[in-house]
Amino acid sequence: MLKRLYNLPRDSRDTLFLLAVIGWVMLPQITRLPLWCSLLAGGVLIWRGSLALQSKPLPSKWWLLVLLVLTVAATFNTHRTLLGRDAGVTMIVVLLALKTLELRARRDAFVIFFLSFFTMLTNFFFSQSLLTAAAMLIALLGLLTALVNAHMPVGKPPLWLAAKTAGSMALLGAPVMAVLFVLFPRMAPLWGVPGDAMSGRSGLSANMQVGQIASLALDDSIALRVRFTGATPAQSELYFRGPVLSSFNGRDWQPLRANLPGRLQMPTNLRTSGEATPYEVTLEPNNRPWVLLLDVAAAKPELAGAALAAPSSGLVGAPVSALSGVQIAMTSELQWIADRPFTDLARYSAVSHTRFRYGPTQMQIGLQEYLLLPDGSNPRTVALAAQMRSAPQLRAANTPELVNAVLHRLRSGAYSYTLEPGVFGVHTADEFWFDRKEGFCEHIASSFVILMRALDVPARVVTGYQGGERNSVDGFWVIRQSDAHAWAEVWIAGQGWVRVDPTTAVAPGRTGSFARLQAPQGAIASVLSGVFGAVNPSLLANLRATWDAVNNGWNQWVLNYTQTKQLNLLKDIGFDSPSWEDLFYALLGLLVFVSLCGAMWTLWEKSRHDPWLRLLRRARKRLIKAGVVLAPNSPPRSMATRLGAGQKEIGEWLLRMEAMRYSRTQGNHLLKLAGLQREFSHLPWPKPVK
Amino acid sequence: MSAVLHPVRFVSGRFQRWWQSRLPLRDSFTLTQRTVYILPTRPGFTLAATLLVLLIASINYQLNLGYLLTFLLAGSAMVGMHVSHATLRGLTLNLIAPEAQFAGASAVIGVNLANDRNTIRHGIGMSVLGAGHWVWADVPPLGVATLHIAFRPARRGLHLVPALTAETRFPLGTFRVWTVWRPASKVLVYPAPEPSAPPLPPGEPKSGGAASALHQHSGEYDGVRAYRRGDPMKLVVWKKVAKAGELVSRDAEQVQRYELWLDFAQCGAANTEHRLSRLCAWVLAAEKQGLDYGLRLPGVEVKAGHGEGHKRQCLEALALC
Repeated sequence: MLKRLYNLPRDSRDTLFLLAVIGWVMLPQITRLPLWCSLLAGGVLIWRGSLALQSKPLPSKWWLLVLLVLTVAATFNTHRTLLGRDAGVTMIVVLLALKTLELRARRDAFVIFFLSFFTMLTNFFFSQSLLTAAAMLIALLGLLTALVNAHMPVGKPPLWLAAKTAGSMALLGAPVMAVLFVLFPRMAPLWGVPGDAMSGRSGLSANMQVGQIASLALDDSIALRVRFTGATPAQSELYFRGPVLSSFNGRDWQPLRANLPGRLQMPTNLRTSGEATPYEVTLEPNNRPWVLLLDVAAAKPELAGAALAAPSSGLVGAPVSALSGVQIAMTSELQWIADRPFTDLARYSAVSHTRFRYGPTQMQIGLQEYLLLPDGSNPRTVALAAQMRSAPQLRAANTPELVNAVLHRLRSGAYSYTLEPGVFGVHTADEFWFDRKEGFCEHIASSFVILMRALDVPARVVTGYQGGERNSVDGFWVIRQSDAHAWAEVWIAGQGWVRVDPTTAVAPGRTGSFARLQAPQGAIASVLSGVFGAVNPSLLANLRATWDAVNNGWNQWVLNYTQTKQLNLLKDIGFDSPSWEDLFYALLGLLVFVSLCGAMWTLWEKSRHDPWLRLLRRARKRLIKAGVVLAPNSPPRSMATRLGAGQKEIGEWLLRMEAMRYSRTQGNHLLKLAGLQREFSHLPWPKPVK
Repeated sequence: MSAVLHPVRFVSGRFQRWWQSRLPLRDSFTLTQRTVYILPTRPGFTLAATLLVLLIASINYQLNLGYLLTFLLAGSAMVGMHVSHATLRGLTLNLIAPEAQFAGASAVIGVNLANDRNTIRHGIGMSVLGAGHWVWADVPPLGVATLHIAFRPARRGLHLVPALTAETRFPLGTFRVWTVWRPASKVLVYPAPEPSAPPLPPGEPKSGGAASALHQHSGEYDGVRAYRRGDPMKLVVWKKVAKAGELVSRDAEQVQRYELWLDFAQCGAANTEHRLSRLCAWVLAAEKQGLDYGLRLPGVEVKAGHGEGHKRQCLEALALC
């Protein structure tokens, strides 16, 4: 088999290699793409590979046209659009696969390369981990190798030769990459990106699909830091409000009519009580417009840094420019929203009241929307609600009693909290209440709200962060992505919207204490830990610590490299008050410096021409200036014969030059030459004639 | 006319000719910074557009890893530009003096590419400037590669070897690096032999020959007789041998009585080139048949004779006429 591969004609070998690289580029995507797309792409690549192996002709254009039309239709059918991120990714993968069937001319090959670069980028929509980076580095090297190989027209050069060239090019290109990465000004998105742009990345999401927050819980990167300037509330009261999700279609929770103008929204009717809690927040960039605040901030938070005390964590001097002009407003659901996403560190101060009431106190039009459930969704949960309603002790129960009954069921029904609930089917609430009886906050909150709605209690899901931990060194509370949480709000007549956190009923430790759930180990990790643990337990710990440190470094230095860090870097270099333009100046300066180095290199390369010849040329020039008739390439001996009587010394010097060049003795030529060069300046050169 | 119809092409053509005429003539050409030119190709521009789109996507989706990808690709392409330029820079091209050719026939120019670096130079193509028929070579480290470039000399005479061009797109195809070289050597181009030339003209009686009147109009040079032992092989008429099945020789006596003169004035073609073409065909035919022949051109006369040297002398006279 190997021998057969080795003996393939060059065309087939090159095509197979390119197909392998394309397959590698697509590989990380296959689980995220629609099933038909993954199957089609894989099928086409395998088909094309077998054609190459058997040196068969490519399919006709009509085949391609039919396939293309079909896939465009399928893409539209899957995504209901051809625009936006997900549809775009599907289309690019399909186009790339189909283009391999049209690999005829050189132009086609280039199209494939450029499509592959786009496909590589689309991987980063979903993951920017170190592993993804490594996989894509391999892909880039593979693509460069194929490109270099395509430009070796002679014979059948081995692939490693092209790989060597590609590798050295990437290696030499790495400094360029580093400089551009560090100095290229980071800016806000140039125009609004489609709504699905940021899903799947760390941070809360604008909607909630089952399983999404599970992956967040494993993400230890920091979401925000909080410093309480007054009294610190109890940890169980630290609810940071994110999007409120009220519209359920059986699968996702979405915000309800978020785009409605304020006068059509329900009145906030916010009433706070108790002690005010002033605090300052440093929000890590999350590409979201949400001003995350402690529930509930009645007054508008104060954005930007000038008035704030600088936090001690090295994040000094967030540029005012980055946040100037940002407008923020509160929605009727108590969430504060800015008019642009936070793509850089943001700092703001606010005052919150942890005790509050809000929302209409009487039943009114609009509240019935919080009772809607899709037809046929979660039939067993609906049946459960009917059964509870008909139970004698709950027949006349008011809302708080119903809530308590459900919470009691959660507490006593052997329900448990887990980070690995597995993939749920269509009726998520049914599965949670009756089959699996385990899940994390998202499943619990969703199932709770569905049951409450089935019980005719207006209810909705609130997402955000809960808890956090206090850093004993600087007193900051650090809220991580793993603190992302989902809870519920139910509407109670006479009180308005009231927060209910059903997760506390299942796992009291999830809120209120420091006990964050540890992510359970995967199968490989547990085998590895078994092996290493048996040999040397501390080795395993060291390995894990190193990996954590590397990962953290990657997050800190690559993924969280923002404009703030850029400007701080400039400050360290010596700019007084660095700005956006200074980055350009730094880039420009570096460019000039590199160009100068290039010019010096050229000069040096020139000087590497034979020093003996240069010396001879100098001597010839002197003599010609003095009126001696010499050919422009006359050798030393013929020069010596042309000299007059008074120039014997020069003649001897010339002959010595000749001897040095052509003598048999292999002495140290450079040393001898240095001697001749010294003599040159002492020779009695004739005066130049005008 | 062309200046009116295609002003841009006219001007650029004029510019190209002017620029080429300024290039020095040399048979050995070491490429330096000043003689190696570089411009992006169409895929190069496409790559630039791709990089721009990648950059915009990275900005809009705030992908720091996207920035890394974009900049690494850009850096590699930049290095590729230098690699491309260095592939030609420092290379020495040496012309192998070309053989004389017939006009219209395809001929080859040999070029030695000498590499004084200890790394291989990949994918160097050479062609006659403007012809577009490329031959490719890799030049080994500290070694020499030889390329044979086909060309079709159009006119007879002593011409300069046509301007040559060397090009490479290695490694990424995003830049075209090329040079233009005008070799100093000349190549002698004989007239193209007429494809179906009439038979050789009748011989002229040798001055003072007695039998001149008798055979004046026979014009036949295939007077044959049976093979006699001792006849030189040259005299065997192989075509007739093949037909008749027995050895037949030319009647050497008959041949010797006449002298074949290929005369410019009497070859019966319309214009000069046509005549030279016919004479050329006759020279080749006469040489093939092993006859003695002389050539009379305006101002030049080549005495009768035969053999390779004689043939070359005649052809040169025809080429330079």
